[in-house]
Amino acid sequence: MTSLRARLVVISLATVLLAGIALTYAVLAPAADAPASTALAGAGPRVQVLTNGLLSTVSRADPGGPREVTAVRCDRAHTGAATVACLTPVGALTATSLVVMDAALRPLKEIPLTGFPNRLRVSASGRMIAWTLFIDGHSYATNGFSTQTGILDTRTGRIVRSLEDFTITRDGRPYRNADVNFWGVTFAGDDNRFYATLSTGGRRSLVEGDMAAGTVRTLRDNVECPSLSPDGTRIAYKSAIGADPAKGWRLTVLHLGSGRTVPLAETRSVDDQPAWLDDQTIAYGLQTGDGTNNTWTVPADGGGAPTLLIPGANSPAVIGRDGA
Amino acid sequence: MLRRTSFMTVAVGVTALFVTMSLPGGVASAATATFAPVADTYVDNSTTGTNFGTSGQLGVDNSPVKRMFLRFTVSGVSGAISSVKLRVHTDDVSGSESGSGGVFRGMSSTTWSETATTWNNQPSIDGATLGTLGSVARNQWYEVDVTSYVTGNGAYSFGVTSTSTNGADYDSRESGSGTAPQLVVTTGTGPSPSPSPSPSPPPGGDPVLVGAGDIATSGSGDTATAALLDSIPGTVFTLGDNVYDNGTASEFNTYYNPTWGRHKARTRPVPGNHDYNTSGATGYYGYFGASAGDPTKGYYSYDLGANWHVIVLNSNCSAVPCGTTSAQTTWLRADLAASTRPCTVAMWHHPRYTSGANHAPNSSVAPFVQALYDANADLILTGHNHQYERFAPINPANQLDNTRGIRHFVVGSGGASHYGFGTILANSEARNSDTYGVLKLTLHANAYTWQFVPESGRTYSDSGTTNCH
Repeated sequence: MTSLRARLVVISLATVLLAGIALTYAVLAPAADAPASTALAGAGPRVQVLTNGLLSTVSRADPGGPREVTAVRCDRAHTGAATVACLTPVGALTATSLVVMDAALRPLKEIPLTGFPNRLRVSASGRMIAWTLFIDGHSYATNGFSTQTGILDTRTGRIVRSLEDFTITRDGRPYRNADVNFWGVTFAGDDNRFYATLSTGGRRSLVEGDMAAGTVRTLRDNVECPSLSPDGTRIAYKSAIGADPAKGWRLTVLHLGSGRTVPLAETRSVDDQPAWLDDQTIAYGLQTGDGTNNTWTVPADGGGAPTLLIPGANSPAVIGRDGA
Repeated sequence: MLRRTSFMTVAVGVTALFVTMSLPGGVASAATATFAPVADTYVDNSTTGTNFGTSGQLGVDNSPVKRMFLRFTVSGVSGAISSVKLRVHTDDVSGSESGSGGVFRGMSSTTWSETATTWNNQPSIDGATLGTLGSVARNQWYEVDVTSYVTGNGAYSFGVTSTSTNGADYDSRESGSGTAPQLVVTTGTGPSPSPSPSPSPPPGGDPVLVGAGDIATSGSGDTATAALLDSIPGTVFTLGDNVYDNGTASEFNTYYNPTWGRHKARTRPVPGNHDYNTSGATGYYGYFGASAGDPTKGYYSYDLGANWHVIVLNSNCSAVPCGTTSAQTTWLRADLAASTRPCTVAMWHHPRYTSGANHAPNSSVAPFVQALYDANADLILTGHNHQYERFAPINPANQLDNTRGIRHFVVGSGGASHYGFGTILANSEARNSDTYGVLKLTLHANAYTWQFVPESGRTYSDSGTTNCH
């Protein structure tokens, strides 16, 4: 938490350093003789979002208030502890890449990737980063798409290019199939165990994985884009309505201890990997017909009602909290 | 503030506030329409990376330097505009008053983002000065005459600056409808003009081009858009991906023929990547026959009416090369040079510019765009991303160019299931990703009118008129 002020102070420096990936920054900006941005827009914890693709932060206590907008462009972003991860936009001549930054947005590592950015997660400690890209097709609502999901261990430098290389146990038995796709990883607190979606043979299953062992095993069906709660007891996910993705998805919470599932009060179809703002609150993005992304929240216990948290923003992630 | 909710509020407000005033004798009348901003924000050079788009307040100041930006969408206004007033309300807090209420100017950019604009990336305030407010007091309305700037339906941006070190603070649209800025448009005052000009086409009728891309599937979107064509005369265009998934002859007969096929005799098609999933796009060329041009090329041109030239290009560049020195681009430049028509529209499948999430802007077609820009063409129509998007007139680098710029459209709304949007590109003026529909172009002698026509039961619309170069 002590790094928050420092982080905002150095954003303008980071901006310069990141010029290589900030493709179209400020062509209309006036001469840079203006004072550097040093004022924190509201004190306290902050939430990282994307504002039309620009990495931004808002106050957790006043998310509709002033917004710090950097020049760093991402299609997806996430953060955990002191690590910020960004999947850079696919341009006319450029493929995407994973850019790993520190809390001051200084780039530490870049991994070139192929496909369209779709999901991105950093573990609560900031050590593990997982991404999902569309390789063929563009929608989870159809058949015939393919995804690629990879994991970076920032401590060891190990890169799992594709979870499809892991050993699969399905319904208790070893399983192999060329139609396997993975998406939507979420990490547990030990930075080894993780959850993800496995699609094969017409089923979409929640899997629990073991990074060190290189294994995954199925737990239950019709769970997509899992997100583990900060306390590790629940998974928020999107559940295909009637097990048919063409009908849309209902945000749902699975209690890992009891196996109980609780549909949340959001009844609009949500095609996002939910994020936990805290142990009681789920955040997610919804897009309006004109392409405006808005970040909404809904209580994790199934009660209450959806609330607009941050207009014009998606990819929410709480900054500097253990547990995301 | 939820943007969609705000739009709906605006629409309701417009309807409620259209007021007709009948003057004694009944020979003259005036109607006023009051519009709320669709976006407003300010920037502050003491906090250069901060956006204030969701704030209830707007500031202008010279120490620190604060500039405010307002954008309105004027729609539904017919007849001559006699007066337009921009009204702003000072905040009801101590310090909102100032000896200088600010200098109000027009702006060419109408696509800046309310939630992303900061001092660092602010749009330029580059238009004419419209008015200056002197002293402003707390909790009062002030008015600037902007009649010279707001000339009809469309999007209008205002930028406000101040040279005073004692800034003024106004209420933003987030403050609520009682204090939000207003644009008050008055039409038809004065004793004369008969009712506004008839919207019906002139005798003889200008030619019409109507169509979309990304059309026929096993779903029902193609049926909905084909039904629109049933009541719109003119030449039908397609923008590629005429049938899914593989452009086979069987798919054309099963999906395209019963829907858009009803209008095959007046259709001039464009080939897409799904059409080329069948080698050589033989299903496509076999179905459309001579209307699709030479099957080894897929590019061709024709004239419409007395003043329009229509060019169809093939952006499946791996099958038919698109490069600067390719046979296709060489043909395009020669075709443009040979045309004597004052207005030109070109169309192909892959968009040069798009905000769609699923297909990035395509640079392979840049040689087409450059050749068309060099020849002063007017319109580019594409598909590929399953949605509707309209850009401002732009140069080949997607910079606003109101002199020679070409208006780009993505009309991938023909029936294939919709895609979402990613990062919204600069100069993107209108977008929709939840309504099937067709684009109707009415080709006037020296201008074009565009209209997105939605499927039955939907309300999204987008229309306007732009002169040819």
